[in-house]
Amino acid sequence: MAGMTFFHYLHKETILHKMDCRLKLLCMLLLSLSASFALKLPHYLVPISLIMLAIWAAKLPFGALLKDMRFFGVLILIVFISNAFLIPGEPIPNFPIANISQQGVITGLRFAGRLTLIIMACSVISGTTSLSSLRNAVEWILRPFPFISEVRIATMVSLTFILIPLIFDNYIEIMDAQKSRCIQLQKKPALRIKYISFPLLTQTFRRADEIINAMESRNYSEVRTQVELYTKKADWLILALCAAVLLFVLFF
Amino acid sequence: MPVLETQNLTHTFPDGTTAVTNISLRINSGEFLIITGANGSGKTVFIRHLNGLLTPTKGKVLLDGKPITKNIVEARKKIGLIFQNSDSQIVGQTVEEDVGFGPLNLNLPPDEIKRVVKTALEITGLTAFSKQNPYFLSGGQKRKLAIAGVLAMGPEIIIFDEPFTGLDYPGIITVLKQIVNLHKAGHTVIVVTHELEKVLAHSDRLVIFHNGRLAEDGKPEEVIKNSNNYGVRMPLKNGEKVSLMTWLE
Amino acid sequence: MKNYETLNIRMTVYCALFTALIIVGGYISIPIPIGPVPIVLADFFVMLAGLFLGFKYAFISISLYLALGLIGLPVFAGGTSGLAVIFGPTGGFIIGYILMGVCIGFITTKMKVTIISLMIALIAGNILLYLAGVPWLKFNMKLSWPAAITIGFIPFTAGIVIKIAAAVALGYAFLPQFKQKMVFASFKQPDDGDE
Repeated sequence: MAGMTFFHYLHKETILHKMDCRLKLLCMLLLSLSASFALKLPHYLVPISLIMLAIWAAKLPFGALLKDMRFFGVLILIVFISNAFLIPGEPIPNFPIANISQQGVITGLRFAGRLTLIIMACSVISGTTSLSSLRNAVEWILRPFPFISEVRIATMVSLTFILIPLIFDNYIEIMDAQKSRCIQLQKKPALRIKYISFPLLTQTFRRADEIINAMESRNYSEVRTQVELYTKKADWLILALCAAVLLFVLFF
Repeated sequence: MPVLETQNLTHTFPDGTTAVTNISLRINSGEFLIITGANGSGKTVFIRHLNGLLTPTKGKVLLDGKPITKNIVEARKKIGLIFQNSDSQIVGQTVEEDVGFGPLNLNLPPDEIKRVVKTALEITGLTAFSKQNPYFLSGGQKRKLAIAGVLAMGPEIIIFDEPFTGLDYPGIITVLKQIVNLHKAGHTVIVVTHELEKVLAHSDRLVIFHNGRLAEDGKPEEVIKNSNNYGVRMPLKNGEKVSLMTWLE
Repeated sequence: MKNYETLNIRMTVYCALFTALIIVGGYISIPIPIGPVPIVLADFFVMLAGLFLGFKYAFISISLYLALGLIGLPVFAGGTSGLAVIFGPTGGFIIGYILMGVCIGFITTKMKVTIISLMIALIAGNILLYLAGVPWLKFNMKLSWPAAITIGFIPFTAGIVIKIAAAVALGYAFLPQFKQKMVFASFKQPDDGDE
């Protein structure tokens, strides 16, 4: 995980970084809706160019993001291939592999396009949103719901994102320790899972206990100061842009 | 001929930061080598190359003159690495099971496994605990268990990454005794630590890393004089000798 | 009251912990000798969430995982997210995670911890998972039943067996210790509602 920019928040002073997180999440929702309804090539190109613009405006490291995309490339490829082979339809004329249908290839391309779009939008969100603003937005969104303690859920969200890199580092260290003792020669997968999850669980449980004690020591309570959230004009403008993209995909 | 050697080893992470630059180090058989340096000086990244957990971006690691990538299993058998955090290394639900983990991976016959586990437990003095859950061992005993787990694979070279961190006084003494005894028994020992005052007297050679480069390499008495330049505390007061730098009586 | 607060914090942290483990599990894959599909550990940690958290908190923890994916964070297996995944071909499996976690949690809180009861819980949970996942796949991609089973179930069978075996071993080793830490005491607390 150390080498991945994906979950990492990069602090910069840009419009997108300062944007109200609630609207940012709404934008994400609109863009992923656009992706799910997209059918023609322009339907993909328009949102993708918007995202490119966002990456540029947020001064995110473009090269590093592209590198991360490699990681997802395999997944996208699998989605594409499974579609191409499994959707029934006309075979492609003059194409050596008989099982691939035209419809399959087209559906496969659509799925791949959708995934690419969503993954890129995600990278913008996680690159520009700090944990505390995400936490506040989640808390705000959950306020109207009865029977849900919004503070508790919001705390869970931020804890989750604090824990993810810790667990990842832990996992890498455990794997290193086991590789040093030749785990790769162990052919029984059930044992391999056990040997990974046993130390991982022992350590994460212990870490959880530490966090619990630390929270109690600082008098954590669910009755706490509410944070005021502000929305600026520019934020609404960005939201309008995303809404426009969705309308374009739906009606053109 | 050196038993383990690195040639111009450089490692650059995917995000562009270079952790270690151009390190050439020859480690002779039977040596007791200490590697020290400030936090982030590249010590841990360096030793993870020695048994092939990391592969160099540039340069080579040679074991008995052959690149370790040729036979990585052999390299990991010969070079035991003991991690700073023993919990990461402990996988078994009993002490015995954990020590048997490596030999089991090497697919040794059951009798052979029993034998090496028994020997490893005897060397580390854990025989009485063999049926216990490692979870309930003390810090020093856990570190000894990690050592036993590596010994069971029959290593020639043993590398300790910060072996004293987080241990109490008796814990440090047990681990230190263990390290010294392993060296006496003929193992090549590499200790990565910044707690020089506990162990330096036993070493034959001291290496200092600074900003990912090899800054000093030589006899402990010589090298230690310059240690202040590299974020390592000069542990000797006026007139003290290196031979005093041990916590063993 | 003090005890009640402690329990709240404890469960908050444990829920977050399992959500994080499920997310990390989506990135960890283990090659298996049989079959082309590597094992992803996300569903394995969903099983563990059911075992360790009990049905109520497993529900919260897995729903949180779902919600985080829904708002666009790259948490689903391999780092995907968003509505498209939930409504896409594999959406049934993600909904099935909740069913599986709750089912496993329910059975393990009702029964004593033995190898047999753990196996029953885990097998029942997995059946629910695939009952949600495979038909969804069929209707979403307009496949025939045999085709849906061929891509949605058969490649995973080896993985299922392996994961159940590992989960039983871990549950058996950890659950008694874990229960002592009064996690399950929560069910005996009369005022432990959802506020």
